[in-house]
Amino acid sequence: MSSSSASVESQVAASGIEAAAKGAASAIVEARKIRKTYLRGKEELTVLQDLDLTIREGAFEALMGPSGSGKSTLLNLIAGLDRPTSGTIRVAGADVGTLPEGQRAKWRAANIGFIFQTYNMMPVLTALENVELPLLLTRLSSKERRERAKTALSIVGLTERMQHYPRELSGGQEQRVAIARAIVTDPKLIVADEPTGDLDRKSADDVLALLTRLNTEFNKTIVMVTHDPNAAERAKKVHHLDKGALL
Amino acid sequence: MGLVAVRNLGRNKLRTLLTVFAVSVAILAFILLRTVLSAWTVAADHAAKDRVGTRHKVSFIMPMPKRYLEEIRQIPGVQRAAGANWFGGKDPKHENEFFATLAVDPKAYLEVYDEVEVPEEQRESWFQNKTGAVVGDSLAKKMGWKIGDRVTLQGTIFPGDWPFEISGIYTASRKSVDRMTFLFHYDYFNDSPQAGATRDQVGWVVSRIDDPSRSAQISKAIDDHFEERDIQTLSMSERAMNMSFIGMISAVLRAVDVVSLVILVIMMLILGNTVAMAVRERTHEYGVLRAIGFMPKHLAVFVFGEAVVVSTAGGVLGIMIAYPFVENLVGRWLEENMGAFFPFFRIDPITILWALVLAGVLGAIAAAIPARSASRLVVVDALRRTG
Repeated sequence: MSSSSASVESQVAASGIEAAAKGAASAIVEARKIRKTYLRGKEELTVLQDLDLTIREGAFEALMGPSGSGKSTLLNLIAGLDRPTSGTIRVAGADVGTLPEGQRAKWRAANIGFIFQTYNMMPVLTALENVELPLLLTRLSSKERRERAKTALSIVGLTERMQHYPRELSGGQEQRVAIARAIVTDPKLIVADEPTGDLDRKSADDVLALLTRLNTEFNKTIVMVTHDPNAAERAKKVHHLDKGALL
Repeated sequence: MGLVAVRNLGRNKLRTLLTVFAVSVAILAFILLRTVLSAWTVAADHAAKDRVGTRHKVSFIMPMPKRYLEEIRQIPGVQRAAGANWFGGKDPKHENEFFATLAVDPKAYLEVYDEVEVPEEQRESWFQNKTGAVVGDSLAKKMGWKIGDRVTLQGTIFPGDWPFEISGIYTASRKSVDRMTFLFHYDYFNDSPQAGATRDQVGWVVSRIDDPSRSAQISKAIDDHFEERDIQTLSMSERAMNMSFIGMISAVLRAVDVVSLVILVIMMLILGNTVAMAVRERTHEYGVLRAIGFMPKHLAVFVFGEAVVVSTAGGVLGIMIAYPFVENLVGRWLEENMGAFFPFFRIDPITILWALVLAGVLGAIAAAIPARSASRLVVVDALRRTG
């Protein structure tokens, strides 16, 4: 890794440690009386019912539950992708349930890192360009964007593969690129939706080890939806949902 | 952002190539049709400003008394005047070849049409030979005629065989001049028994005037002069006169004009469909981009960028095909073989500019609905969509 990359990496770590030191006990996610309903035809379908949840900064928490229990819906609300039907949800200091769509997009860009089950790389961009993608929304210069993306790739151990296209990478490597993309903007919160769902055991373990490292070494708060008990074991806390309520 | 839009084009190379090719064919067709239009009107566009044409007030196919020519020469402002009669001859050896045959007063005609250039020696030879004829260089080349050749035309209006000797071959210093015309002595025609009722009649008169800005007044003065006669005249600038000929086929020209635009609309619909297909396929990806913070306007930029790049690339390719196709093949062939209709068939630079601008603009319009769809995606719904 170059000296500049090392410097950016140490800054990323320092910012996390600093945040942790300032408010080790402060909540990054505060959901109160969250209710989410959908209309299916004329029928109203309740997915989350009067749910309360608090997640503290620096946490690594998993959401588990059967299909249809509402865990992905809850993750979408935490990530500011959707709004609750009622109740309040504050994430990283913002009342995301009431932010207009434009502001929520900006808020997501600044505060949330996403990791999806199917990696969701842009197939026409190299690993480096994919990681750089969220930085296009910042005012960083082209050179700074490149440096940051390289740093993120070095953190996930894929410096050698930065010029490869997604089709030239294995599933595990793609997911590591996705993790690099999630951390490149140095977000306060990383949300992961079934991050090991499409991976073999070995790759899944590598990805989970990387998430654990981001949490312990860089003090990133991680909220992960998973069906995988092995993945849940890595979390410091596991929330079980059923029929839209926390057990 | 532009990089993403451009890279997206490489996602389905065959589709992109076919779309670019479809756009280029449409642009080629547009350029050809617009060039047909500009070629039709080139004679009017490049008409001399200091020439006034006079014809029978009822119709240009009705002749006027020959003495009108002398009287027009006396009208103040008229410097020179020459008459011409449509003869309607054809070469029996080339039955299907059409070319204009005009009976003219050689000296007067060349004075009025000084852009018709005949070498001095050939000019003198023509003046002195009553059966002499001067032909355009394109016509001479097409028919294989050389100076001194004896040619017999058959009259379609004035029947019989009409023997001529090729005295000269003219070129033109102005691109509006038809280089497929056969010019011969009016006296030869007029003194022939076949002239019949057209004897001492002139088809039309073209006058050279001293002040181009007074062409309307001089035209009026000519018409006023003959107002009380049995046969009245209608005079107008050469440009207006040429436009009145074009007016006879205005419906055809209008149709060509409309078709050229319809082709572009079809191109736009094809492009719009292709872009819409691409947007549908990438719904999930757009959902991901929206999730990580991209705004609806960014997605619109991706879609617009992609469509404009494809349409502009197609436009440039169409122009690159059109230029050699018209300049080296079609244009040259039309000028040599159909010079009476297309004396100058070349691409106007304005047409190229329009083709390029329209390709880009129509590409953007084609992307409008798909771009709107992409920018209105609900993030969580888009993330659920696969493929």
